[in-house]
Amino acid sequence: MWGIVKAVAVGTLVSTAFVATAQADGHLSLEGKRIGVAVVGTQHFWDREAFTGAIETVEKLGGEVVQVDGGRDNQVHADNHDVLLANEVDAVISILGDAAVEPKFEALKNAGIPVFTVDHPSPHAINNTTSDNYYMGTTIGRYMADAIGGSGKVAVFNAFEGALRICGIRTGLWKYVLSDYPEIEILQPELAEEFANAPEDARKQTLDLLSQYPEGTIDAIHVGCWDQPAIGVVQALEEAGRTDVVVTALDGGPDTLEIMAEEGSPFVANVAQQPRLIGSTSAMNVARHFAGETLLPQTYVDVVPVNGAEEAKAAYQNLGYGTLE
Amino acid sequence: MPDSVATRPGGFDLRRAVGMAPVAIFVAMLIYIGFNAPNFLTWSTIQLVLSQSVPVVVVCLGLSVVVMAGGDDVVSGGIDLSVPATAILCAGIIAQQVTLAEQPLFLAAMLAFGAALIVGALNGFLVTRIGMTPLLTSLAMFVAVVGVNNVITASRRIDIDAPLILFLRDDRIVGLPAGVAIALVLCVVFVFAIHHTKWGLNLQAVGGSREAAEVSGLRPSHFLFWSFVIAAFAGFLASFFVLARGSGSSPGTEDNLLLEMVLATFLGASFSPRRVVTVWGAVLGAVLVAALSIGFKSMGVNVFWTGLIKGSLILIVVALGAASQRMR
Repeated sequence: MWGIVKAVAVGTLVSTAFVATAQADGHLSLEGKRIGVAVVGTQHFWDREAFTGAIETVEKLGGEVVQVDGGRDNQVHADNHDVLLANEVDAVISILGDAAVEPKFEALKNAGIPVFTVDHPSPHAINNTTSDNYYMGTTIGRYMADAIGGSGKVAVFNAFEGALRICGIRTGLWKYVLSDYPEIEILQPELAEEFANAPEDARKQTLDLLSQYPEGTIDAIHVGCWDQPAIGVVQALEEAGRTDVVVTALDGGPDTLEIMAEEGSPFVANVAQQPRLIGSTSAMNVARHFAGETLLPQTYVDVVPVNGAEEAKAAYQNLGYGTLE
Repeated sequence: MPDSVATRPGGFDLRRAVGMAPVAIFVAMLIYIGFNAPNFLTWSTIQLVLSQSVPVVVVCLGLSVVVMAGGDDVVSGGIDLSVPATAILCAGIIAQQVTLAEQPLFLAAMLAFGAALIVGALNGFLVTRIGMTPLLTSLAMFVAVVGVNNVITASRRIDIDAPLILFLRDDRIVGLPAGVAIALVLCVVFVFAIHHTKWGLNLQAVGGSREAAEVSGLRPSHFLFWSFVIAAFAGFLASFFVLARGSGSSPGTEDNLLLEMVLATFLGASFSPRRVVTVWGAVLGAVLVAALSIGFKSMGVNVFWTGLIKGSLILIVVALGAASQRMR
């Protein structure tokens, strides 16, 4: 119950804060500006929402959008920044991406085009708008430890801890929390999920994992940085008829909140983000920059911790995805 | 179809018109983009188009050699879908060796070269000795090679900052981006080897008609085997451009490369007068596909529509190519 109250409180707080900011930002405008918006892919809810949030806000502020999509290929995403550079846009909002984008950011900066990132801290960016990844990592660590009673074996999908800073924070802090639980063992080697086609890839890898660890020898499967693979993990558990393993992950879009809300779902904990608000906030930051305001290097957007099916239903409603029975 | 049917009174040649249509559509499309996208018809965008098409161009060189040696029937002729996977594998090996194992680039490149030769020789062996179809063999090889790369890189991104890779990425040779200049040299070498040497002409003869080639004393399996090895070598060469493009090896880049390679190579055939795959045709196809992609992006086309528009346009071009072929 306390969880629902907390989720509602956080949700209300976030929306109030946003309304207050929006009112205070009435003077902002992107009139006459061409803003490039680059996203690594549009297949997943998170990416699409952040992208849409950024585009809608740029247009609402009177700016023109030049949009490019990497098709979930990090190299294509990086290349797309060259297209924006050749287009001489006034600013670039870049959503996600691995280290392949860094030289592109540098080239944009050298050409006098300010870069604003989403979920990708960079020395070449004016500002990075992101979720509170520190809170996400520690919270999911505590929730997972509680869900398995403070002891047991855990497999982790962790392809991006070294490649993406946000994943380094989330998975690193998850491990930091677990270091206080000597009875919890992270199985080695860690698993690496595919970037594209993640649910299906994770399903296959989980089926292999489950045949390697029969009933009673594995207690949890955690996805370190996002939750699309968790969809495949849950499928595999159901296919194998295993009810002894819990699943935890991060992102909490409507697709995964729905799975969590099902009765007896193995997917027990998540931390939901607000991707549309993140994209929108980044676009507002572009306008603030052009209005001469000084931005902090990082803007954090609040997250909603989700512990169990009831909180999943509450979060689903509070985040505006509808209602779940 | 006899000429009397294709040629209408008054001199209008329908077959010729249909045959020219793919080129005309592309030119019209590019002009349209030029008018609607700011900065599209500028030297900097043209350089960008060339730069971004380089990895695809180099894998296309490999695929076109196999198609020319095996014939351009997609199912029973020559095709090698594993070239992009070989490129990604070589990129993975080089990045892993240079960045994580701290080996010199030369040694890493030699390892990658060896791996590419093994892939090419295996493809050639399975097709020419065991008698498997190239389509199936190279598709299975694609999956296997990507699997090997996932093991080597642990499916993780690996950065690379070796001077040669940074040179390909950032420097210029005689006014052109270094990668473009070197890829251009590679294209000239491939064109010369395939279209202007006796061995290359024999390889094309084998692909044109296996029976006729056998009658004249050529061994088709010999040429087909070596075409797979050359294709894998092209994959090895492409890996340097892949590394330069991404400043390292990122997992998952093989799929897009595969799609664009096949598209560019067979689109290139629509531009050739005889509708056959040629090295220059494939290169032109790769550059045009890149130009179109960049053009749509520059025009600010909604990303959710880009795939459909690009795909439809290519379908139309290839269909016109096929229609013109049937009119012969």
